[in-house]
Amino acid sequence: MKALKDLLDRIVQRVNINLREFEYDVGPFVKNLIPWNQMAKFHAFYGITQNHPLNFEFRHSNLAGSYFLGKCRTNNSILYKSNVRGDELKKKGDRFKFQDVEIRLLEDEGIEIEDSYLIKTLVHNFSHDPETLERFSIMNTVSAHYANIHGSPTDGSFLGAFATVDLTTMNDCVIGEYSYIQAGEINHIKTDPGTVWIRSPGAFNFLYRYPLKKLARYLSCVRGRRPQGILMDFAEARNEAFEKVFNLVDAEPRVGIPKTASLDRFAVVDGKTRIGQNVVVAERALLENAWLGKGSNAQEHCHIKNARLKGNNVTAHGAKIIESDLGKDVFVGFNSFLRGSPKGRLSIGKESIIMPHTIIDTKKPLKIPAGHLAWGLITDQAGLEANSVSLKELSKVKGKLVRGDMYFEGSGSEFVTAFQKRIQHILEANGAFYDGKRHEGHAQKNQNISFNTIQPYPDGALAGLYPSILIQP
Amino acid sequence: MKTYTVKELMVPISEYATVPEGSTLFEAVLALEKAQEEFDQKQYHHRAILILDKNRRVIGKLSQLGVLRALEPKDEDIEGFDELSQFGFSQELVQGLRKERRVQGVPLKDLYVRTAGLKVEDFMQAPAEGEYVEQDASLDIAVHQLVLGNHLALLVTKAREIVGILRLTDVFGAVLRDMKECMGTRGEDSE
Repeated sequence: MKALKDLLDRIVQRVNINLREFEYDVGPFVKNLIPWNQMAKFHAFYGITQNHPLNFEFRHSNLAGSYFLGKCRTNNSILYKSNVRGDELKKKGDRFKFQDVEIRLLEDEGIEIEDSYLIKTLVHNFSHDPETLERFSIMNTVSAHYANIHGSPTDGSFLGAFATVDLTTMNDCVIGEYSYIQAGEINHIKTDPGTVWIRSPGAFNFLYRYPLKKLARYLSCVRGRRPQGILMDFAEARNEAFEKVFNLVDAEPRVGIPKTASLDRFAVVDGKTRIGQNVVVAERALLENAWLGKGSNAQEHCHIKNARLKGNNVTAHGAKIIESDLGKDVFVGFNSFLRGSPKGRLSIGKESIIMPHTIIDTKKPLKIPAGHLAWGLITDQAGLEANSVSLKELSKVKGKLVRGDMYFEGSGSEFVTAFQKRIQHILEANGAFYDGKRHEGHAQKNQNISFNTIQPYPDGALAGLYPSILIQP
Repeated sequence: MKTYTVKELMVPISEYATVPEGSTLFEAVLALEKAQEEFDQKQYHHRAILILDKNRRVIGKLSQLGVLRALEPKDEDIEGFDELSQFGFSQELVQGLRKERRVQGVPLKDLYVRTAGLKVEDFMQAPAEGEYVEQDASLDIAVHQLVLGNHLALLVTKAREIVGILRLTDVFGAVLRDMKECMGTRGEDSE
């Protein structure tokens, strides 16, 4: 294990050097949290399909339990049970529009991970940085449990547990646990835990910061200890069920699925679950007594339990929906935690938007009206009133809106339109509108993936490291 | 042209406004008022109070701005407003929120009463490195230190003991006198 231990020390050093202005040591947040034998125990997987470029390169890395799809490269890195999903990367010849310019790609875009340590992290989407169109790079970066790096090239940064950086180029930043950042480009900033920040310069700016004492019940991170709290307990509760599906060579789906839907063979399905047409259920998603209407999706690390989603519902990466009923076209953002109870179900009206990193946790029935935006921590009716607004009212805002711990400045109309366009794009990319001929997406393209396994050196000084591997057509 | 030393320009500490450690903000303000009345000077007033420990050593300084700062409302929300600019919110929004909170907050009269009873140690500034100058140092050294540290005054020492205050206004006065003298000399030379 010596080589693996040296590799981890080197990665931590590199990140700490980048974060020296904050005197931030990422070591205690990630070292010794994953037993070394686990790193040598799990296989890695790469998928082959006719729809995604086959181009993998793994050098001097540990890839325990990680999953790769599309063009990916890792070098001097440790990826523990992470998902590197390159099914939305740009392709050679694509044109990327930036301001008034269209830039043509000269080659397929690839995900490049160097000198980084990602724990149970999702890497998805494509680089939105016009300066690095062919490279979605993650360098000198450490991310803790259940972080999301979504369309965000990063360098010299740390993402706390359950943090998300979305469509943002990030250099030398510390993103607190359960923070969500979508701000185009950020440099040299450190955010508190539970910061939800969405900014489009010149158009709008949204900021919500969780009350830290209340957030701690759901997630708290202390140096030298694994993340604690309800979010972590929930995410880890079904580890055994996942290990079981990962250990099976040929797993038969436990539920019938329409021909136009896709159920990843590394998802777990339990109880009376129904999957409708054009539905996508991604790897490491968990469905228990879930009813997924036509065009809905459950992304990586989603958990949908005793819940009904009427149709065209986006359940973004890491979101949890329990004891709830969602109308059509409801969007639930990254890592949101929506929990009703058997006697107090949560109901969300059609076309509502649940902001990324929202926690709704209620024991009494709670109803979010149709066409509303909800954010932050909501545990009862009063909390809902303080942390929500109708999309109609928000669209009228020109200037500022302050409600509870939420600050908004700019054009409400542009904010709502930007969200609605993005939701539409997600549904399109997932194949929600497939009619048998047109509008194919992940639901149709990700059906036939053959998974191959790769394994590390079992013992000796190189134990845990994978030999250098190049996989091409 | 006269070559000034710091000692010639400073205000001796015995003539400066001082209060002992543990005094209230109101006691400090009264001490400043008294010193301004008693100090024999023509143009400038005292603008700060020195805080002394039980051995009469200077442990801090409270400026007029420090007194005003003490009157600023202190609550987490207002500190949170200041952080909003880091996230790209406009000054207009931040100032608007501060104003709203001020209107909703404690009336100024009550704020005066509440703040007047607070201890000076909570608001004083401890002398920083670069804020000391030897009494025998020349004017140019003092000017350099004032400019470099953006200070309004320097603490003057004699064998590590603080013996006086060198104020920006006194230094500026000396520089002005020197400058006028130099220009006068140049005029004579050119004739």
